[in-house]
Amino acid sequence: MVNLLMKEFKLSVSPFFYVLPFLTGALMLIPGWLYFLVLLYFCFITIPNMFGGYKSQNDLLFTSILPVRKKDIVKAKILFMVILELLHMVVAVIYGIISTHLYPHLVYYFFAPSMGFWGLCFVMLAIFNITFIPIYYKTAYKYGAATIASITAAILFAGGAEWLGIQNSFVHDLFKGTGAENWTVQLSILLAGMVIFAISTIIAYDLANKRFEKVEM
Amino acid sequence: MLALDIQNLNKKYEHFQLKDVSFQLEKGYIMGFIGANGSGKTTTIKAILNLIRMDSGEICILGKHMAEHEVELKQEIGSAFGDINFYTRNKIKTLTNVIKTFYRNWDDATYYKYLKKFNLIEDKKIAELSTGMKVKYSLALALSHGAKLLVLDEPTSGLDPVARDNLLDVFRELVNDGEISILFSTHITSDLEKCADYITYIHDGRIIRSAEKEDFIDAYRLLSGTKEQLDSMKDRLISYKTNAFGFTGLIHTKILDPSLEIKSTVPNLEEIMVYCAKKEDIHG
Repeated sequence: MVNLLMKEFKLSVSPFFYVLPFLTGALMLIPGWLYFLVLLYFCFITIPNMFGGYKSQNDLLFTSILPVRKKDIVKAKILFMVILELLHMVVAVIYGIISTHLYPHLVYYFFAPSMGFWGLCFVMLAIFNITFIPIYYKTAYKYGAATIASITAAILFAGGAEWLGIQNSFVHDLFKGTGAENWTVQLSILLAGMVIFAISTIIAYDLANKRFEKVEM
Repeated sequence: MLALDIQNLNKKYEHFQLKDVSFQLEKGYIMGFIGANGSGKTTTIKAILNLIRMDSGEICILGKHMAEHEVELKQEIGSAFGDINFYTRNKIKTLTNVIKTFYRNWDDATYYKYLKKFNLIEDKKIAELSTGMKVKYSLALALSHGAKLLVLDEPTSGLDPVARDNLLDVFRELVNDGEISILFSTHITSDLEKCADYITYIHDGRIIRSAEKEDFIDAYRLLSGTKEQLDSMKDRLISYKTNAFGFTGLIHTKILDPSLEIKSTVPNLEEIMVYCAKKEDIHG
């Protein structure tokens, strides 16, 4: 399992994708921007390029010849994806903290980089994972349809959440009104987001595993 | 002991199927797996490596069922696909450093011994290797993790005659001590004349014959005769071709009447393959 993960780091995935979070994360410094986009860049750029790389390098056959269990192949790939997602998240949070200190009196039209917002980001990535992973593992090499479907789902969530934040008084209050100052509320949303992210990814892994069993190289 | 035992392997695709494929390879020998393009060689090899799901059948490697001991057995198998490349923009060194972490019996000394023997340079990228060198690199990897069974899909295709001869010599050397067995598929029959101990011939997803090389060849005779002679023995021939002087046809040695006054010679593998394929295509 560790060797499969190391294979991803050393061989399968370009170091570019470990640097990218630091570039996209810097977009958090744009005052009052639509910050969901910062994490969506992971879905827009990293996912199709990374999985395109696997396809062009015949990674599926290469890995299948190695003495590893089929389910570990799936587990390692998903775990690697989650590591990258968390890297994007952590870097964006750090830039977000800097951003809030840079512009302390800014009035945010879209969500500010608060704990609650990061909770929503976890939910967005949860939706992305549970859409992308099972579709991708129908073939374990075709990533186009899976990418389009999952990006669409993630954008719909992000768009819907922003819309509610503006239009719905309850959500507005939660993220931009009194709730924004309430540490417990913010932390609860963050934790709930994390839990949803974890559960979705585990379900995605389970579905992917069942589909990958039937995949032929 | 059998290095490889395949029993009644069946796999159906929309336009092709493997039908009751069975053959055995004794430990310490080389088996040539011949057949025309699209006859099922690669599909069989993929089934051996558990890369495709069989509809039915059993595959045992070194006495163990592949279906139940896949991970353990893959430690003992080395494989190479002549026409498929992996991570071609990476250096040999990078690829090896990753691959070796998967094998518990990996031996660096053996690896460097074979790199030297095969003139492989660690800093070269896979894309910079010739086809023959790529196969040799796969062999070096397999031997360094102590593989006992080498399953090679068309390792000699695309090689020039010198490189091919050189690779076949390597195969012979490897099986010398009786520990390593090799199954390699090819459609180049001269490879087999040179180095195979056993031959398995597949056509249209069915095994036509699997036997020791000499027995395999000895089971057939190539006849040449006049058109009149052809009429009297047409039914007994596997298949035949007519020409201006008469015909040439392949027959099973066991049904050849030695009293017949007809020119008979021992065919080569290519002739056996061509005439058997002709029969199958006629009779479907």
